Amino acid sequence: MTPVPEPLPHAYPFRFVERTVEKRGPAEGRVRALVTGNGRRTEAGESLPPLTLVEVVAQAALLLEGGDPGIGRTGFLAGVSDFEFHREAGSGDLLDVDVRIAGVLGPIVRFEGTVTDGEGRRVCSGAVTVKKGSPA
Amino acid sequence: MEQVEELKGRVKSLIVRQLKLEIDPATIKDDAPLFGDDPSGLGLDSIDALELVLGIEKEFGIKVQDEEVGVKAFASVDALCEFVRSKAA
Repeated sequence: MTPVPEPLPHAYPFRFVERTVEKRGPAEGRVRALVTGNGRRTEAGESLPPLTLVEVVAQAALLLEGGDPGIGRTGFLAGVSDFEFHREAGSGDLLDVDVRIAGVLGPIVRFEGTVTDGEGRRVCSGAVTVKKGSPA
Repeated sequence: MEQVEELKGRVKSLIVRQLKLEIDPATIKDDAPLFGDDPSGLGLDSIDALELVLGIEKEFGIKVQDEEVGVKAFASVDALCEFVRSKAA
Protein backbone atom coordinates (compact mmCIF):
# COMPACT_ATOMS: atom_id res chain seq x y z
CA MET A 1 0.00 0.00 0.00
CA THR A 2 1.15 3.51 -0.79
CA PRO A 3 0.99 6.00 2.08
CA VAL A 4 -0.83 9.22 1.38
CA PRO A 5 1.95 11.65 0.33
CA GLU A 6 0.19 14.70 1.64
CA PRO A 7 -2.96 15.29 3.59
CA LEU A 8 -6.29 16.34 2.26
CA PRO A 9 -7.43 19.78 3.38
CA HIS A 10 -10.00 17.96 5.50
CA ALA A 11 -9.21 17.27 9.14
CA TYR A 12 -10.86 15.53 12.08
CA PRO A 13 -13.81 15.25 12.48
CA PHE A 14 -14.55 15.84 8.79
CA ARG A 15 -11.90 13.63 7.21
CA PHE A 16 -13.30 10.22 6.37
CA VAL A 17 -10.73 8.56 4.08
CA GLU A 18 -7.38 7.10 5.09
CA ARG A 19 -5.20 6.37 2.08
CA THR A 20 -4.91 5.33 -1.54
CA VAL A 21 -4.55 1.57 -1.92
CA GLU A 22 -4.61 1.38 -5.72
CA LYS A 23 -4.09 3.96 -8.44
CA ARG A 24 -5.46 2.97 -11.86
CA GLY A 25 -5.00 6.23 -13.71
CA PRO A 26 -5.42 9.96 -13.27
CA ALA A 27 -7.90 10.34 -10.43
CA GLU A 28 -9.01 6.74 -10.69
CA GLY A 29 -8.41 3.95 -8.25
CA ARG A 30 -9.28 2.69 -4.80
CA VAL A 31 -9.16 4.51 -1.50
CA ARG A 32 -9.62 2.99 1.93
CA ALA A 33 -11.77 4.48 4.64
CA LEU A 34 -12.10 3.35 8.23
CA VAL A 35 -15.30 4.09 10.06
CA THR A 36 -14.25 4.93 13.57
CA GLY A 37 -16.35 5.10 16.69
CA ASN A 38 -14.22 8.06 17.63
CA GLY A 39 -15.83 10.20 14.96
CA ARG A 40 -18.75 12.42 15.78
CA ARG A 41 -20.73 10.86 12.95
CA THR A 42 -20.65 7.42 14.48
CA GLU A 43 -20.74 8.09 18.20
CA ALA A 44 -22.90 5.72 20.23
CA GLY A 45 -22.39 3.03 17.61
CA GLU A 46 -24.55 4.67 14.96
CA SER A 47 -24.11 4.07 11.25
CA LEU A 48 -22.66 6.63 8.89
CA PRO A 49 -25.44 8.88 7.58
CA PRO A 50 -25.95 8.69 3.80
CA LEU A 51 -24.75 12.26 3.37
CA THR A 52 -21.46 11.36 5.03
CA LEU A 53 -21.06 8.45 2.61
CA VAL A 54 -21.42 10.96 -0.22
CA GLU A 55 -18.62 12.97 1.37
CA VAL A 56 -16.54 9.78 1.63
CA VAL A 57 -16.78 9.40 -2.16
CA ALA A 58 -15.95 13.08 -2.70
CA GLN A 59 -12.90 12.93 -0.44
CA ALA A 60 -11.71 9.72 -2.12
CA ALA A 61 -11.99 11.44 -5.51
CA LEU A 62 -10.07 14.47 -4.29
CA LEU A 63 -7.38 12.25 -2.78
CA LEU A 64 -6.92 10.37 -6.07
CA GLU A 65 -7.10 13.53 -8.15
CA GLY A 66 -4.00 14.84 -6.45
CA GLY A 67 -4.58 18.51 -6.99
CA ASP A 68 -2.31 21.15 -8.35
CA PRO A 69 1.33 20.91 -7.14
CA GLY A 70 1.33 24.64 -6.46
CA ILE A 71 -1.86 24.91 -4.50
CA GLY A 72 -2.43 21.37 -3.30
CA ARG A 73 -5.77 19.63 -3.23
CA THR A 74 -8.43 22.26 -3.46
CA GLY A 75 -11.91 21.89 -4.74
CA PHE A 76 -15.48 21.87 -3.60
CA LEU A 77 -18.41 19.58 -3.96
CA ALA A 78 -20.64 21.08 -6.62
CA GLY A 79 -23.16 18.33 -7.23
CA VAL A 80 -24.41 14.92 -6.16
CA SER A 81 -26.38 12.54 -8.35
CA ASP A 82 -27.63 9.01 -8.79
CA PHE A 83 -26.76 7.83 -5.29
CA GLU A 84 -28.12 4.50 -4.13
CA PHE A 85 -27.61 3.17 -0.62
CA HIS A 86 -27.62 -0.57 -0.10
CA ARG A 87 -26.40 -1.24 3.43
CA GLU A 88 -25.23 0.57 6.52
CA ALA A 89 -21.62 1.16 7.52
CA GLY A 90 -20.83 1.50 11.20
CA SER A 91 -17.84 1.94 13.47
CA GLY A 92 -15.15 -0.66 12.86
CA ASP A 93 -16.05 -1.13 9.21
CA LEU A 94 -13.24 -0.89 6.69
CA LEU A 95 -14.53 0.53 3.43
CA ASP A 96 -13.09 0.50 -0.06
CA VAL A 97 -14.04 3.40 -2.31
CA ASP A 98 -13.56 2.78 -6.04
CA VAL A 99 -13.55 5.95 -8.09
CA ARG A 100 -13.53 6.62 -11.82
CA ILE A 101 -13.85 9.78 -13.88
CA ALA A 102 -17.17 10.03 -15.70
CA GLY A 103 -16.56 13.39 -17.35
CA VAL A 104 -14.39 16.51 -17.38
CA LEU A 105 -15.11 20.04 -18.56
CA GLY A 106 -12.38 22.51 -17.63
CA PRO A 107 -12.09 22.60 -13.84
CA ILE A 108 -15.27 20.60 -13.35
CA VAL A 109 -14.97 16.86 -12.91
CA ARG A 110 -17.65 14.28 -12.36
CA PHE A 111 -16.52 11.19 -10.46
CA GLU A 112 -18.44 7.96 -10.09
CA GLY A 113 -17.81 6.10 -6.88
CA THR A 114 -18.72 2.75 -5.37
CA VAL A 115 -18.26 2.00 -1.69
CA THR A 116 -17.94 -1.61 -0.57
CA ASP A 117 -17.41 -3.06 2.87
CA GLY A 118 -14.67 -5.46 3.97
CA GLU A 119 -16.60 -8.41 2.60
CA GLY A 120 -17.04 -6.85 -0.81
CA ARG A 121 -20.69 -5.99 -0.30
CA ARG A 122 -21.90 -2.79 -1.89
CA VAL A 123 -22.63 -0.04 0.63
CA CYS A 124 -23.50 2.70 -1.84
CA SER A 125 -22.75 4.07 -5.27
CA GLY A 126 -23.26 7.37 -6.99
CA ALA A 127 -21.63 10.36 -8.62
CA VAL A 128 -20.18 13.57 -7.26
CA THR A 129 -19.30 16.65 -9.27
CA VAL A 130 -16.31 18.58 -8.01
CA LYS A 131 -15.09 21.98 -9.12
CA LYS A 132 -11.34 22.26 -8.72
CA GLY A 133 -9.95 25.38 -7.11
CA SER A 134 -11.51 27.54 -4.44
CA PRO A 135 -15.06 28.86 -4.47
CA ALA A 136 -14.85 32.38 -5.94
CA MET B 1 -29.59 12.52 -41.48
CA GLU B 2 -32.16 13.27 -38.86
CA GLN B 3 -34.60 16.07 -39.72
CA VAL B 4 -33.71 19.42 -38.15
CA GLU B 5 -36.95 19.89 -36.22
CA GLU B 6 -36.84 16.33 -34.94
CA LEU B 7 -33.27 16.84 -33.77
CA LYS B 8 -34.19 20.09 -32.01
CA GLY B 9 -36.99 18.32 -30.16
CA ARG B 10 -34.65 15.56 -29.13
CA VAL B 11 -32.03 18.03 -27.90
CA LYS B 12 -34.59 20.05 -25.94
CA SER B 13 -35.94 16.91 -24.28
CA LEU B 14 -32.40 15.88 -23.44
CA ILE B 15 -31.68 19.27 -21.81
CA VAL B 16 -34.82 19.04 -19.65
CA ARG B 17 -34.24 15.41 -18.72
CA GLN B 18 -30.50 15.65 -18.04
CA LEU B 19 -30.76 18.81 -15.95
CA LYS B 20 -34.03 17.76 -14.30
CA LEU B 21 -35.67 21.04 -15.30
CA GLU B 22 -39.33 21.48 -14.51
CA ILE B 23 -40.31 23.04 -17.82
CA ASP B 24 -41.90 21.92 -21.06
CA PRO B 25 -39.10 21.25 -23.58
CA ALA B 26 -41.16 23.02 -26.24
CA THR B 27 -40.84 26.31 -24.35
CA ILE B 28 -37.08 26.43 -24.94
CA LYS B 29 -36.39 28.82 -27.82
CA ASP B 30 -34.11 27.59 -30.56
CA ASP B 31 -31.80 30.60 -30.45
CA ALA B 32 -32.00 31.53 -26.76
CA PRO B 33 -28.71 31.40 -24.87
CA LEU B 34 -28.49 28.36 -22.66
CA PHE B 35 -25.92 29.93 -20.32
CA GLY B 36 -25.49 33.27 -18.60
CA ASP B 37 -27.86 35.85 -17.18
CA ASP B 38 -29.84 36.67 -20.30
CA PRO B 39 -33.49 36.58 -19.15
CA SER B 40 -34.55 34.97 -22.41
CA GLY B 41 -32.25 32.02 -21.78
CA LEU B 42 -32.14 29.09 -19.39
CA GLY B 43 -29.43 30.58 -17.13
CA LEU B 44 -27.41 27.39 -16.97
CA ASP B 45 -24.00 27.37 -15.27
CA SER B 46 -20.72 25.52 -15.73
CA ILE B 47 -21.85 22.58 -13.61
CA ASP B 48 -24.86 22.19 -15.90
CA ALA B 49 -22.48 22.31 -18.87
CA LEU B 50 -20.75 19.13 -17.75
CA GLU B 51 -24.10 17.44 -17.23
CA LEU B 52 -25.06 18.42 -20.76
CA VAL B 53 -21.76 17.16 -22.17
CA LEU B 54 -22.34 13.78 -20.53
CA GLY B 55 -25.93 13.70 -21.79
CA ILE B 56 -24.94 14.59 -25.37
CA GLU B 57 -22.19 11.99 -25.38
CA LYS B 58 -24.58 9.30 -24.17
CA GLU B 59 -27.55 10.27 -26.34
CA PHE B 60 -25.69 10.80 -29.61
CA GLY B 61 -22.56 8.72 -29.10
CA ILE B 62 -20.25 11.65 -29.83
CA LYS B 63 -17.33 13.00 -27.84
CA VAL B 64 -17.09 16.62 -26.73
CA GLN B 65 -13.33 17.00 -26.55
CA ASP B 66 -12.57 20.51 -25.57
CA GLU B 67 -13.93 23.05 -23.15
CA GLU B 68 -13.87 25.84 -25.72
CA VAL B 69 -15.67 23.75 -28.30
CA GLY B 70 -18.10 22.70 -25.60
CA VAL B 71 -18.93 26.25 -24.61
CA LYS B 72 -19.32 27.36 -28.23
CA ALA B 73 -21.36 24.34 -29.21
CA PHE B 74 -23.61 24.72 -26.20
CA ALA B 75 -24.48 28.37 -26.79
CA SER B 76 -28.07 27.59 -27.83
CA VAL B 77 -30.25 24.74 -29.04
CA ASP B 78 -29.47 25.80 -32.62
CA ALA B 79 -25.73 25.69 -31.93
CA LEU B 80 -26.03 22.37 -30.17
CA CYS B 81 -27.93 20.84 -33.07
CA GLU B 82 -25.35 22.17 -35.52
CA PHE B 83 -22.61 20.61 -33.39
CA VAL B 84 -24.38 17.24 -33.25
CA ARG B 85 -25.02 17.30 -37.00
CA SER B 86 -21.39 18.18 -37.78
CA LYS B 87 -20.15 15.35 -35.60
CA ALA B 88 -22.58 12.88 -37.12
CA ALA B 89 -21.77 13.91 -40.70
